[in-house]
Amino acid sequence: MRIATMIGDISRSLFRKPVTRQYPFEKSATPKALRGRVEWDAAKCTGCNLCVRDCPAMALDLHILDRKNKQFVMRYHLDRCVFCAQCEESCRFDAIHLSDKKWELAALTQDPFDIFYGEENNVRTVVEKVLKGNAGQDAGKDSGAKAQAK
Amino acid sequence: MHTSEHREQFIVPIGPQHPALKEPGHFEFTVDGETVTAASARLGYAHRGIEKACEQRTWVQNLYLFERVCGICSHIHATCYAAAVEKLAGVEAPPRAQAIREVVAELERIHSHLLWLGVAAHEAGFDTLFMYTWRDRETVMDLLEVITGNRVNYSANILGGVKNDITPEQSAEVLKGLDFLEKRIQHYLHVVQNDEFFLQRTRGIGVTTKEMAERLGIVGPTARASGVARDVRVDSPYIAYPQFPVNMMVEESGDLEARTVIRIKELTESCRVIRQILENMPEGEIETKMPRRIKEGEVLMRVEAPRGELWYFVKSNGGEKPERVHVRTPTIPNMASVVALAVGHQLADIPMILAGIDPCFSCQDRAVIVNYAKGGHDHWTWEDLRRYGIEYYRKQRRV
Repeated sequence: MRIATMIGDISRSLFRKPVTRQYPFEKSATPKALRGRVEWDAAKCTGCNLCVRDCPAMALDLHILDRKNKQFVMRYHLDRCVFCAQCEESCRFDAIHLSDKKWELAALTQDPFDIFYGEENNVRTVVEKVLKGNAGQDAGKDSGAKAQAK
Repeated sequence: MHTSEHREQFIVPIGPQHPALKEPGHFEFTVDGETVTAASARLGYAHRGIEKACEQRTWVQNLYLFERVCGICSHIHATCYAAAVEKLAGVEAPPRAQAIREVVAELERIHSHLLWLGVAAHEAGFDTLFMYTWRDRETVMDLLEVITGNRVNYSANILGGVKNDITPEQSAEVLKGLDFLEKRIQHYLHVVQNDEFFLQRTRGIGVTTKEMAERLGIVGPTARASGVARDVRVDSPYIAYPQFPVNMMVEESGDLEARTVIRIKELTESCRVIRQILENMPEGEIETKMPRRIKEGEVLMRVEAPRGELWYFVKSNGGEKPERVHVRTPTIPNMASVVALAVGHQLADIPMILAGIDPCFSCQDRAVIVNYAKGGHDHWTWEDLRRYGIEYYRKQRRV
């Protein structure tokens, strides 16, 4: 019986460089299947609301301004998202997908977690509506919800 | 000085917060010197109201809720739920989807057993083994990320199939990872059977006889280590197990060594079956259409989670949301063995005996019925639970 079966492992590890990645300077390659931030394409959306209904985290709000002329604004609550990609599965028009590149999502304030996708004018209208709706509740907190128009 | 005719009882309370494991549970061990003479367990500190919450969500949303019953075996929960709902709806997922589900399930088993081996080694004071197993666990987590896109909560399933196909490149990457893991697994098997210090903590400790395992209804590797041939993958094959069967591992001695050895042998078996599936992957679609409303009925589905038999009871009233879902995780039957085995052992062996069943405390906590002292009982609705949670934390923070 060998007294120390791990001697080999230990001696190899002693003379090896640390395996820790120097993260901000050296990034790991991400697999294609990685599920990062939700990206939404207004041109393909039909406003069927299936993604909103299927989202288990209530992270998506679709504001329909004019269905005929495809005037939609998608409000994406990044802080609620669980990155399950069910919205991508539910969408029959390929309008929504999870990015495999945008996965560095940390931020110092709440604002970057409230994302609006859509045309700039429409986003402005929706943001005003949202702020009005929130007035009195947590107006102070949400007043900084500047639209991040795509 | 104090003398007494009867020997005084001394009770060692452990938990709810305790250094042995990372989850809450309260145990009381009555000791005579160092020897435990009586034991009791109180559970329920990590109850989250998941079953009640699911009644307010749609069939699709619940898939992700049940995935979060357990952080380690998330895929098997989602698979069991998805398979149950598919059975209820009369829909069958395509063979390729079933095969992919099995690949992820077996990779998850490798991940779970390696994690357990690390925890068991840590409890035994063998931290070198703990660090090596957890380093190798990174490999399997990376493989899971390659296939599904996430290292935990893989979300590989959808109702009626799986999300992502396995491409030949991904398959090659998994096979390469398995080569490394198989070598390591053989090494660990050698270590746990030959390292004298580790054997002092495992050999002949916590012996569960076959009769005892049958009587307590123990499941999973814990039961198979005691000679009980019980494995849902073999007894009642589900998903792709009829096409790609696994061999059941059984050990006879029933002590902690047997529980360690059986889990490591299961790792080898998992590697073999993953290899077999990837080399003979059925062709075809990976998803079928599911109805949004599931027809009325009820179904019981059972699967073999890494810790043992897991079952789901799903009842539908024909709507978009389930009427009732009940989950029984493998820790609850196995917990009985901890209390039964503790008596007669040294207090120092207790953490090892507890870790030996691979407990998952928050998975097992269920009940939502409140019994009143005057009689009668009441159910808590999702709203009640939510309000209670908000009030509780408000009081804690004194706001």
